[in-house]
Amino acid sequence: MESKIRITPFEDGLVIKFSGELDSSKTMLYRDKIHREMTSSGPRFLLFDLKDCSFLDSAGIGLILGRFNEVEKVAGGCGFIHLSPYARKVIKISGLFSVMKEYSSLMEFRKDMGVKL
Amino acid sequence: MNKMELRFSATLANESLARTAVSAFIAPLNPSLEEIGEIKTMVSEAVSNAIIHGYGFDSAKEVILRCELDQSVLTLVVIDYGKGIENIENAKKPHYSSRPDLERAGMGLTIMETLADSFTIRSVLGMGSKVIIRKEILSEETYEKEGV
Ligand SMILES: Nc1ncnc2c1ncn2[C@@H]1O[C@H](COP(=O)(O)OP(=O)(O)OP(=O)(O)O)[C@@H](O)[C@H]1O
Ligand SMILES: [Mg+2]
Repeated sequence: MESKIRITPFEDGLVIKFSGELDSSKTMLYRDKIHREMTSSGPRFLLFDLKDCSFLDSAGIGLILGRFNEVEKVAGGCGFIHLSPYARKVIKISGLFSVMKEYSSLMEFRKDMGVKL
Repeated sequence: MNKMELRFSATLANESLARTAVSAFIAPLNPSLEEIGEIKTMVSEAVSNAIIHGYGFDSAKEVILRCELDQSVLTLVVIDYGKGIENIENAKKPHYSSRPDLERAGMGLTIMETLADSFTIRSVLGMGSKVIIRKEILSEETYEKEGV
C-alpha cells in the first residue's frame, strides 16, 4: 500500500489521515505538508486518523507531538481516531495519551474540544 | 533454528526493506497482526537509530541486521560501526534525544525496551553500537481458530 497523508479541514481544525507506513522516511515531508495547511487555515484542533496506518514508530510519535506543541500554544488540542490495538500500544508506550485522547468520531472530538458546531 | 543476515546502505529508504525482510522471515510462525506490527516497530527503531545517530545519514556506511529464530523465539541484532553512545543510561531516558532539531521524540529506546521480552544495547564511543532484541512469537493461527 502506498503511504500517504490526507488533510481535511473542518471549522477550526484539521483531520490528518495517515495511510500506509508512517516512518522516518515520511515524517519530514508530512510535517511540511501539515505546516502549509496550518499556515493557510490557522487551525487550533488536530484530529489524527490512523485508520489505514499500518506502521507506526517513534518518528510518527515525534511528528504528532510536534504538531501538538504548536496548537497548544494557541490554546488548541489534538486527538486520535481509528486506532488499531497495535497503534494504541505504541502511542501508550510513548506517553502521548497524557496530552491527547482517543475519540470515536470527529463529532465527539469537536464536542470535547468545545468547537462550535 | 533458522537464520538470516542483511547488510544495507545507511539510508532511511532502506528502513522499509529491513521491516519487510523481518516480517517475511517470521511469517511461517503465523504471527498476529499486532505481533508483526510490534516487531516491525522494533526493527525500525533500531535501524533508524543506526542510520540517524550512528552514521549521521552517511549512506556510504552499512547497517547489519541479523535475525535468528529458535523455536518461537526471535532474536534481532542491529549493528552499526558508527559514532557510538557516550552515556547509555542517559540515552535510554524517555524523551531524551540528541537530535530534537529533527523532531525526534526520544522514545525509540523506550519503545524497544517495552515491546521486547529482552532488550540489550551495547556501545563503544567511536566504534559503534549493537542492539539485541528477543521476542517470543506466541500466537498460533488465530485467524483459523476464529474461522475467518
Ligand atoms: N545507534 C546509535 N548510535 C549512536 N547514538 C545512538 C544510537 N541509538 C541511540 N543513540 C542515542 O540515544 C538517543 C536516544 O535514542 P532514541 O531512539 O530513544 O531517541 P531518538 O532516536 O533521539 O528519537 P526517536 O527514536 O524518538 O525518534 C539518541 O538521540 C542518540 O543520541
Ligand atoms: Mg530513535
